[in-house]
Amino acid sequence: MISDFFHPDVGGVENHIYMLGASLIRRGHKVIVITHSHPPDRVGIRWLIPGLKVYHIPFPTLVSSATLPNFLTFLPYLRTIILRERITVIHSHASLSSLGHEGVLHAHLLGVRTVFTDHSLFGFADAASILTNKLLEGMLRNVDAAICVSHIGRENTVLRANLPPKSVYVIPNAIVADHFCPARSAPPTDTITIIVVSRLAHRKGVDLLVATAPRICAAFPNVRFVVGGDGPKMIDLLQMRETHFLQDRITLLGPVAHRDVPSVLQQGSIFMNTSLTESFGIAILEAACAGLHVVSTRVGGVPEILPEDMISFAAPTAEDVFRAMSEAIAHVARGDHDPHRAHERIRGFYDWTRVAKRTEVVYRAVLATPPYPLWTRIQRTMSLGLFVGPIYTIILIVDCLFFAFLEWWMPRENIDYVDVRWDATRFEKVAGHGNA
Amino acid sequence: MTSVNNAPPEWERVLWRPQPFPDNYVPPSFLSALSKNPNVLPYRYWPLVLGACAISQNLSVVFIFLAVFTRLLDHTLDPRLLVALSTAGFIGGCLVWELMGHFESDAASSERRTCFSSSIQLNCANRSCSALGARTVKASLLVFLALIALAPILRTLTAPTSADSIWALATALFLVHAALADYTYSASPVQRERLTSVLSTNAAISATVVLASRLHNDLAVFALMLFSVEAFALFPVLRRCLQQMMPAPVQALVTGTLGLAALAAPLPGLCAAVLVSVTFGAPAALIWAQQYKHEIRGPWDAATPRGFEGDSGAT
Repeated sequence: MISDFFHPDVGGVENHIYMLGASLIRRGHKVIVITHSHPPDRVGIRWLIPGLKVYHIPFPTLVSSATLPNFLTFLPYLRTIILRERITVIHSHASLSSLGHEGVLHAHLLGVRTVFTDHSLFGFADAASILTNKLLEGMLRNVDAAICVSHIGRENTVLRANLPPKSVYVIPNAIVADHFCPARSAPPTDTITIIVVSRLAHRKGVDLLVATAPRICAAFPNVRFVVGGDGPKMIDLLQMRETHFLQDRITLLGPVAHRDVPSVLQQGSIFMNTSLTESFGIAILEAACAGLHVVSTRVGGVPEILPEDMISFAAPTAEDVFRAMSEAIAHVARGDHDPHRAHERIRGFYDWTRVAKRTEVVYRAVLATPPYPLWTRIQRTMSLGLFVGPIYTIILIVDCLFFAFLEWWMPRENIDYVDVRWDATRFEKVAGHGNA
Repeated sequence: MTSVNNAPPEWERVLWRPQPFPDNYVPPSFLSALSKNPNVLPYRYWPLVLGACAISQNLSVVFIFLAVFTRLLDHTLDPRLLVALSTAGFIGGCLVWELMGHFESDAASSERRTCFSSSIQLNCANRSCSALGARTVKASLLVFLALIALAPILRTLTAPTSADSIWALATALFLVHAALADYTYSASPVQRERLTSVLSTNAAISATVVLASRLHNDLAVFALMLFSVEAFALFPVLRRCLQQMMPAPVQALVTGTLGLAALAAPLPGLCAAVLVSVTFGAPAALIWAQQYKHEIRGPWDAATPRGFEGDSGAT
């Protein structure tokens, strides 16, 4: 697995890679993760708990943990790691990770097959999207299969990267249901607490929250809000709280660490999500799993993740969010919502082992097809476009020459191969009770 | 979006239920929510030509200015005649202005009135015609006198600079003027002038200042400056108001007259080619390029949030 985004950063992609890796290890595969280093302490090689080996490549980061895209410098590291670990499939994550892109570019030199998981949705209209979409298309010309986390994500990726739909799989995220248990005592029905946990940014629809929260507080005197998260829109929330004198009704927690999210969720009975775009909405799933009734805007992949009776939808307008929230508050106040039943249902829906099994199917399908020969690769790259095509082709050819040079400079016989595997049974004996 | 049907296994667009389909199954509804060019307004030719008139009028004014300058330079135009013509043009412009204001006051549309008054006197509190007239006369006299006083300075300001540099600088400044000018149609008159249009006026006036140093006497410099202030500072305001109020034939007439006058410039062939291509060629090219418009919209685009209706105060 290769991605710029990995532990110790936190986020959906980071967690996905870790959980998928851990589940694959439990199914008897060997998984290593390659990411960039986090000086001063996360450097070199580290082991994470279920025997997941992490290589930290010493590349400086540019912004928000992404490394500078440079196409070639990763090859020496990657070649050594792939050879010494005897890797057969490279699984690259996240469309903005340049390490992931490079991994896919170099893989064919080493006879390794590639799978790519796209975690996000992009539009087609603005300049940034146009650029990243072209970058993605260039990379996915060389990939053997792609995985998306929702049906809408798949449609988006197929369009963005001009892929045949057959080569794109849908495998959802999953959650560890044990981490998100409902509170032992049922939440009180006289005071209803609404939880919002989100990055406070425009894309997360904080404007809608700011517009509706005062109305909700005015209409329902027994409602209070708990808002977790931080971001550029925090100031708007603070202003709203000041202007409407809601200091005792709206609690702003500021940044919440991922391990504290369950305890925040347990305080409430309704989860409110006002995102404007969302490819999967793992936060919604976590909240539903913790037994909260979910009210969300009907955007992106959110309608796909839960059955209609566990979630209320609203159009992304303040009027409709207010309507949906009023209905949800009435529903919860009547005591119609059973947190423990909701938790048990979610437990049956999503499971990392199932995700790992479905991913395995993709790996097997990829390994069963013949790889593209170099000439086909060049032709496919040339067909990218009038200007981009030749540029990518030059990169591809220089990459091949660089690889030939490395073969001469660092011969394969001199590489220190890893032959000792992590002893899972011994590990289970020592610490196996920790993870189910 | 989802269709619930229990009897045969039918594909559903959900993730929470395991389905008897491979993960790369392509459902018949794949990409059904995709929409292409949903909010594209196809252009029509003649409205575009009308819009392009603003650009060709502005270019024509630049060409006319160049014609006047070259004639001043080789003494074929008497500066006194130019001053007289400029004054007459100014008075004529003011009359047109007042007439338009009169029409408009009948219609009792106060926003247009602001448009008129904002041109010469910003924040003119009393908008009665006589007060407006008095203020206009006062302001124009001030500009007139200031230009007379400044003429000797302006003539020698860039005199030591070599002629080549002056031509190059003037060309560049006129290009900036043409590129940044405000060609927008029916912009709300209350709205403040944009920075680019201020820059555009400044570029044209600076070009005049550098060109003025090539002239031979103070009177010629004064005449050129007066003409330039009228052509580049006052005319655009009049042009915008004309554009908003006048029907298409008047627009065409003004553009045609200015275009013909522009043929007096040096290199009339080039000027004519530029004007014709801007007025008729560019709109045709835009319409032709419309066929390549390919905008994709779908449910993955970020939704646009809407607040409560009539509740603008909700921060």
